[in-house]
Amino acid sequence: MATRAIWSNTRIQAALLLGPALVVYVVFAVFPMLDVIWLSFFKWNGLDPVKVYVGTTNYVDVFTKDPVFWVAFRNTMIWTALSVAIPPMIGLALALGLNQPIFGRNTLRAIYYLPVIIAPIAVATMWRWMYDPFFGLFGQILTSMGLQSWVKDWLGNRDIALYSAFGAYVWQSVGFSMVLFLAGLQGVNRSLVEAARIDGAGRWAIFRYVTLPALRTTLTIVLVLAIISSLKAFDIVYGLTGGGPAQSTQMLALWAFTQSMQIFDFGRGSAISVVLLGVTLTVVIPYVRWTQKREEVAE
Amino acid sequence: MTFTTLPSPQIDAGRPPRDWVLVGLWLSLVIVAVIWIAPFVFIVFTSLKSTTQVMTTSAFSPPLEPQFSNYASAWARGRFDTTFVNSAIITAIKVPLGLFISAMAAYALAKIPMRFGKLILLLILFGTMIPFQVMLAPIFTMVNGFGLIDTYPGVILPYLAFGIPYQVFILHGFFRAIPHELSEAARIDGASHFTTFRRVFLPVSLPVLAALFILDFVATWNEFAMALVLLQDREMWTLPLGLSAFQGQFSRDYGQLNAAIVMTVLPASIVYLIFQRYFVSGLMSGSVKG
Repeated sequence: MATRAIWSNTRIQAALLLGPALVVYVVFAVFPMLDVIWLSFFKWNGLDPVKVYVGTTNYVDVFTKDPVFWVAFRNTMIWTALSVAIPPMIGLALALGLNQPIFGRNTLRAIYYLPVIIAPIAVATMWRWMYDPFFGLFGQILTSMGLQSWVKDWLGNRDIALYSAFGAYVWQSVGFSMVLFLAGLQGVNRSLVEAARIDGAGRWAIFRYVTLPALRTTLTIVLVLAIISSLKAFDIVYGLTGGGPAQSTQMLALWAFTQSMQIFDFGRGSAISVVLLGVTLTVVIPYVRWTQKREEVAE
Repeated sequence: MTFTTLPSPQIDAGRPPRDWVLVGLWLSLVIVAVIWIAPFVFIVFTSLKSTTQVMTTSAFSPPLEPQFSNYASAWARGRFDTTFVNSAIITAIKVPLGLFISAMAAYALAKIPMRFGKLILLLILFGTMIPFQVMLAPIFTMVNGFGLIDTYPGVILPYLAFGIPYQVFILHGFFRAIPHELSEAARIDGASHFTTFRRVFLPVSLPVLAALFILDFVATWNEFAMALVLLQDREMWTLPLGLSAFQGQFSRDYGQLNAAIVMTVLPASIVYLIFQRYFVSGLMSGSVKG
């Protein structure tokens, strides 16, 4: 009887249902997030039992004595700016196209989306081979067009390596924006579009004054997700260039990893992580509040 | 009477006039699709060529004497037997288990009034947005502290932790939309929350669960950064780690390298092509509602 009573107690039931997920989440996700802040104030190689408290030294070192940090910072900002502008724009264009009654749209949609489900590290490996200056795809295409002089060492040239890497990222991420926009387009009021057409509005006017305003929510979501996923760009850069040549494609997430896991300076690595975390939070906090407001409105 | 009629739209009613804007649009979409698919063609072609063929034939010329042996060699040299099994074990445990505990938590948060429910939900909502790439070092420290480096639980537990927020968030939204009468009826009949969850909520949420299952399968199968930190022993490597190492060691064996890429990419691609519909609906239910 006693066990019966325990099992029928609502509180215990709630705890048993919520417990497993919450414990795993707090221990392996929330705790490391706090730990990274804690570690950033210590000098530690990751294995010693002793951590030496050094105050803000790691931050001072990162900001003033680490030229690579600023390269990584700048690259992360460029990468983020580009990935907010380019993949969502192409994704929107494709979604608008696929929203028309055209032949083979399901097949086309499947093709654009396919790169999204491929492991980023595999995308990196694919593109590294495509960028091969001797036998790679781009070299061969340019050569067959008589443009040998345009062939570059795409990933070996410091001036263009970052943008070459970004090319692979565009190929992979356009499909994701596209699907979100397609979903958003389902919410555009058909009769409103029809009414505008009857009133003599052209395609551009309909897009500008009917479709685009209806896509505001979707647009916000797509842009925020674009920012966040570009801040965590890791696999694709790791696989394509490893941050090279001469650190010219180094990114914050990768540099934090390199400092901690390869140079074994966990303090500095954590300080870099905290900077990245701070940048991420400036986007995440407003976004979470915005989502909550929408949820409350929906209730 | 009839000769006064100008060519009227009705005449064309059976076949609408060709809309040239649409034709142009279709053509440009097809061109983009060709560009999007070209890398796959290039990779598959290369994977079937010998090194000499790679150097002497053009990128898009099909392999006339396909070298299927590239696949066998890449499989052996890349130790795909080990990495494939590891990836399969980790995915087979992580994905169903994660979905199950997420669904339980989402049910509790949606249907059992709790004092800190709102706060927990907020904590979880944050988790959907925080990139774990930021925290690779402390995750390593934590897993190392438990002595779980190079073990299946050592990688499955963090995978679970970073999959939970998104799944709880989606399922919570879905469960909350299930009419109250449905759960109350079961509760009045004396069913516990466990029974209500299992008998009422799980069955009705099968489509969402299917979508989340596939999304999570692909994410887990493809995960690289965390595996790189947590699995240092070759025997424990997953497919993405194996591919990365293969590229490092044998990048001049073009045929085999591309065979390795194809073998790594194929399982997720097949799953995607079979379950396409759920993919799209899963993403839609996830991020864009109303």
